[in-house]
Amino acid sequence: MNRRRSWWLGAGATVLAVVALGWYLWDRDTAPDSASAGPGRTPAANASGAGGNDPNSPVGGGSNGGPYSAAGLQSRQEQLALWRGRHERAEQTYATYRDATRYPYDSRPIAEHPDQVRPFAPIAEELKLRGANGEPVKGLRLRTTQERVFLSGAESVKFTVAAVDDSGNGLPLIIRNASAQSIPDSRTPIKVVQASVAFSDDGTGADDQAGDGVYSARITPATQGFAAYSGTIRLLAEVASDAQQGVAQFDVVYTPDVPATWAGVREALEAGSLNFYLKANVRMAGRYVVSARVDDANGVPFALLQFNDEVAAGSREFRLQVFGALVLDKNPAFPLRLRDVDGFLLIPDKFPDRATMARQSGIVYTSARYVRDQFSSAEWTSEERTRYLTEYGKDAETARRKVEELGGK
Amino acid sequence: MRLAKPLLVVLLGIAGGVYATNYSLWINGRSNTAQPGNHADFTYWGPASTAAGVNKKSVNWDGFNRVSDQNYRIRDALDCYCTGNNWCYIAAHSAGNLQIGYALSLYGGSARTKKNATPNSAGQCGNLDGTTQTGWNIKWVDVAAGAGGGSELANVGSWAVSDPLTSDLKTATARALYDHNQTRAKWFYMYAGASGTLYSAVLPGQDDEAVAYHSSGGVSGSGGASFCNPSDWFCNDLTLGTAANEGGSAKWNYHTVAFRDDAEALNHYTNGNWGGVVSKVRADMAANAN
Repeated sequence: MNRRRSWWLGAGATVLAVVALGWYLWDRDTAPDSASAGPGRTPAANASGAGGNDPNSPVGGGSNGGPYSAAGLQSRQEQLALWRGRHERAEQTYATYRDATRYPYDSRPIAEHPDQVRPFAPIAEELKLRGANGEPVKGLRLRTTQERVFLSGAESVKFTVAAVDDSGNGLPLIIRNASAQSIPDSRTPIKVVQASVAFSDDGTGADDQAGDGVYSARITPATQGFAAYSGTIRLLAEVASDAQQGVAQFDVVYTPDVPATWAGVREALEAGSLNFYLKANVRMAGRYVVSARVDDANGVPFALLQFNDEVAAGSREFRLQVFGALVLDKNPAFPLRLRDVDGFLLIPDKFPDRATMARQSGIVYTSARYVRDQFSSAEWTSEERTRYLTEYGKDAETARRKVEELGGK
Repeated sequence: MRLAKPLLVVLLGIAGGVYATNYSLWINGRSNTAQPGNHADFTYWGPASTAAGVNKKSVNWDGFNRVSDQNYRIRDALDCYCTGNNWCYIAAHSAGNLQIGYALSLYGGSARTKKNATPNSAGQCGNLDGTTQTGWNIKWVDVAAGAGGGSELANVGSWAVSDPLTSDLKTATARALYDHNQTRAKWFYMYAGASGTLYSAVLPGQDDEAVAYHSSGGVSGSGGASFCNPSDWFCNDLTLGTAANEGGSAKWNYHTVAFRDDAEALNHYTNGNWGGVVSKVRADMAANAN
């Protein structure tokens, strides 16, 4: 901060202090006790700053029109419309945040995470086949799947390719050649790793069904020359169908290191919530991100549980919480089933940014049976939530008062 | 004496610079020529004199490297301006959608050291008082032409470049990068342009010449799905707001379509003058980031 700015800040602080003193002495008998105000209903404060925000300019003033001129009235109406919009948005922001954070961020109804319900389902995509000239081939599409994007250690990944017409009917397909290659991000020359990949439609190996037109292949980086490589592996498959040729392209991100291994699960009912403790032997310390799904006793998906925190090396536990109020609100049938667990070590400011732990597919653990009375109905509380509700509430109150000042209801 | 203690707190607070300021942070997308970390350089967007929200700052990551190895630029800016008593409005364009989504989803619950909103040339600010808080102070996020769901142009190599970022923009990779639903209850207002014709053979449904509606509209699930304006009878509608799209596909949680380009008038590009669909986000920021 330069001296000039410091001087102005100092002078400003002095003026504000005098104003605050006057306000305090004048208003001390009538001012509400802020500690008794509920979250989000604190007194309004004008947080506007500089920045050339024309919509914040004074209403009705200036040389173009006084408060009763046509220009002044029009300006006032524009300001009223603006503040009504701000008020509506601020009220919605406040209300939706308040309702959403009834449960903590890491213990959520799974309906809020629609693409996390079946995390291990293959990623299916469909693209128009592009010919040698780069132009899409009319009436010919490639339907592809890949099992995953990120993998580590000895994990493998399966790919499939099929050709279909615009109506989705299968077309004959030939895989002429396929290979996987490392894709260096750095501009520094490094040795490129390459491995041939065999696609087949004969019902063996990676292929599920012979002759169905779906060609399948699996690569295991650790055993195909990539054991010392960390980064993107690109699989290119040269395909031909109906006398047209093109390329199917897949990327996966591989790291040879496995940062931690799973070592079982235990559960505990604590403070009105059900906690699953996923045990792990942590080789590499750091921030771990773990996700698990919970189904009820009837197999109905119920909750997504997440863990995201720093973990030291050694024998550790990742706590995944089924929040008490979530149980009471959604009323799942017990016992609950913990399934499809995935986790990774998040590596800041690097690529690859993660080293994955082995996926735990299917039901990993089944809870004991509990009754509703054992769970707490209390909503989630935290400094973060209070901070947000206070600010969002202040914004809504400021906008409401402004609308009132401008003559709106 | 009953008056003295609270009065002292008020005076010390003022004298100590404990005041709240709101900021508008602009997070660029791919191909940025501005100086990384220089929060005053609006080269990517347009004239710096244009109103674009209160106390606007340009976050300026390089737009070339991976989301993960550039994300520190975003976290540095969030630490600078969105901690302590300060709050932020966020505007993001294209791959900037991935950057803010990644930061919130993976680092949004981490302990952040409160900063003094005075950056050095690298875009990093000094500590405020040595204390920390959980996550950042963010009011809401506006996204223009969001590439959070990736682009088919990256899938097929239509961008004839080898920048590492293009690999992150492949639809499968972009969608697997983080849980897009985890915004920590911050609203993402999605602005989707539809003037694209150049790559209409590659991009499914309506597009802005770089991303299709499935991404710019925040649609959950795999890439490749076609979504259009209501005037197109042969393609599912991208709905406004948070409602499921025609055909039943859901949007990511806390994502709402604030603008759909029914007039097919706005493309992906700023053109150095806050152009394309960014113009709509700029207008919203100027009006409501106050």
